[in-house]
Amino acid sequence: MSIPRGAVHAKWIVGRVIGTKMQKTAKVRVTRLVLDPYLLKFFNKRKTYFAHDPLQQCVVGDIVLLKALPERRSKHVKHELAEIVFKVGNVIDPITGKPCAGTRFLENLSDSENLTEADTTYLSEKLQELKVCSTDK
Amino acid sequence: MPMKGRFPIRRTLRYLSQGDVVFKSAVKVMTVNYNTAGELSEGARKFVFFNIPQIQYKNPWVQIMLFKNMTPSPFLRFYLDNGEQVLVDVEDKTNKEITEHIKKILGKSKETLEKEEKERKKLSHPATFGPKKYHLRECMCEIEGQVPCPAIVPLPKEMRGKYKTAMKNEA
Repeated sequence: MSIPRGAVHAKWIVGRVIGTKMQKTAKVRVTRLVLDPYLLKFFNKRKTYFAHDPLQQCVVGDIVLLKALPERRSKHVKHELAEIVFKVGNVIDPITGKPCAGTRFLENLSDSENLTEADTTYLSEKLQELKVCSTDK
Repeated sequence: MPMKGRFPIRRTLRYLSQGDVVFKSAVKVMTVNYNTAGELSEGARKFVFFNIPQIQYKNPWVQIMLFKNMTPSPFLRFYLDNGEQVLVDVEDKTNKEITEHIKKILGKSKETLEKEEKERKKLSHPATFGPKKYHLRECMCEIEGQVPCPAIVPLPKEMRGKYKTAMKNEA
């Protein structure tokens, strides 16, 4: 179907960026669920991959999608950055398309239409006081 | 002495092998975003608790990642080999509905699974004997109705070579 991507077993990976100190390279930690043979429970097993990031747009803490390169770029770099899935501090909910943080949406916070009558009168009074002070001086 | 944990049945091989979602070979990564509180995420939480071990057992080469409390709405996301992404909204769905849905959109059908079973069976011949790794049975003595293993039950005199040669020499 596509060009034979050899060399690496993992073609597409999702991981978390843990380091960006290298130029144009991101250190990504990938966790996979591995079955413990005695407990028969799945635990996360970590592995770090290095990914080529030409625009250096990754920050530590981003969740990224990596794509395997057709051939190795250097001794350790075998993947490249395909897409930043969730940018740290700027998560966008894919279903609604709105920015969110944790379990609430962020866009409703600074909405001046939601202010009540009491709020607007209080604020306008404060503004009047400020104007008076400035003319005195 | 009962098993430890809340629902320790999840940690039995029998439960794990009862999972019926086998993904198509194009599915590489599965990501589940869910919340630890709230009614809408209840189905997603149950899905993660009960069904993810079954799915991972059946699909050991699919990377499964779980994210908690990142977005207000719970969803599943699949990354396929051709770059395609499948987004599945699981808000207000029970865990059974979620598994059924995934099986329908990205799971191998029953016919494909049966075909693969047949192919695997063809490779090994059931009528041969040998090591457990490659054959069903190791020795004829294991089968009911055949001569039992002489290590457990001594053979009758007439079948022993010692007796047979003695009789022949006598005659």
